[in-house]
Amino acid sequence: MATLARSQSPALGATNGAGMAAVLGAGIGSSAMAAFVLLNEAGLFAAPALYGAAGGVTGRTTFATIVWLLAWGALHARWRSREVASGPVFTWTVVLVALAIIATLPPVWGVL
Amino acid sequence: MLFSERSIWTMVHGIGLGGAALLGLAAALFYLYAARPVPDATGDETGSRAYAMVTVFSAVMLWLTVIIGTYIIFPPYRATPPPGTTDLSQFPRALVLANPSTAWLHAFAMEIKEHMPWIASMLTTAVAFVAVRYRRTALTNPAMRRMAFTLLAVSFGVVAFVSLLGVFVNKVAPLD
Repeated sequence: MATLARSQSPALGATNGAGMAAVLGAGIGSSAMAAFVLLNEAGLFAAPALYGAAGGVTGRTTFATIVWLLAWGALHARWRSREVASGPVFTWTVVLVALAIIATLPPVWGVL
Repeated sequence: MLFSERSIWTMVHGIGLGGAALLGLAAALFYLYAARPVPDATGDETGSRAYAMVTVFSAVMLWLTVIIGTYIIFPPYRATPPPGTTDLSQFPRALVLANPSTAWLHAFAMEIKEHMPWIASMLTTAVAFVAVRYRRTALTNPAMRRMAFTLLAVSFGVVAFVSLLGVFVNKVAPLD
């Protein structure tokens, strides 16, 4: 994603990098949610239940939330003072979110 | 007592918080669609503060909805009935799975409700962050505005869909 950054500006807040980091971070977090769900359904990785009464969903959602925050934080640190091309960020985010929504539909799990 | 504690939590989750999130998302979408902001004397865009507030409100409502749904509503829903239990009314998952015509309410509806709303929470939070951090340009920058509208529309669609599924589940197997 480093190629998305076009230029660097010292004026913090005047550039769009922080916003683009938040948007792409949400896309990555969404795909992380889908990944944990698919891994669980395929029997490859079951996130541990963090609250036994609620079961494995607590592990999957917490892990995905952590991935989201880490991705957002890493992108923010890298892009916050840069002007970032919004087109590719938007496209990647929409693709990641669309795939994530599809992957969280139970009929999809049947093809695994 | 008219309503049980479990029933009250279900209403807080679905009608209170989820409903508030839907209203907030609808308001933010309408704002993005209809607002034609002009800078005021201070340089701020008229209405941009309200737009930022409604997106933050929506994000907070969504996070409260998914957290309460996962940690307070879901445990009694998925509780396993003791062996020999014939009245499954206090065990909603077992109740819907016991009947082939309603089993989809767990296998499809509740499985979606477990994960998909978290995606809407992340997307709405991203839009809220942009609305707050770029308050002076969030409504006038075409790229930001298009991006925010798309992500909020996806969030609204997801939340409306899972809310409908929640109504179906609660209609057949309410948490009483």
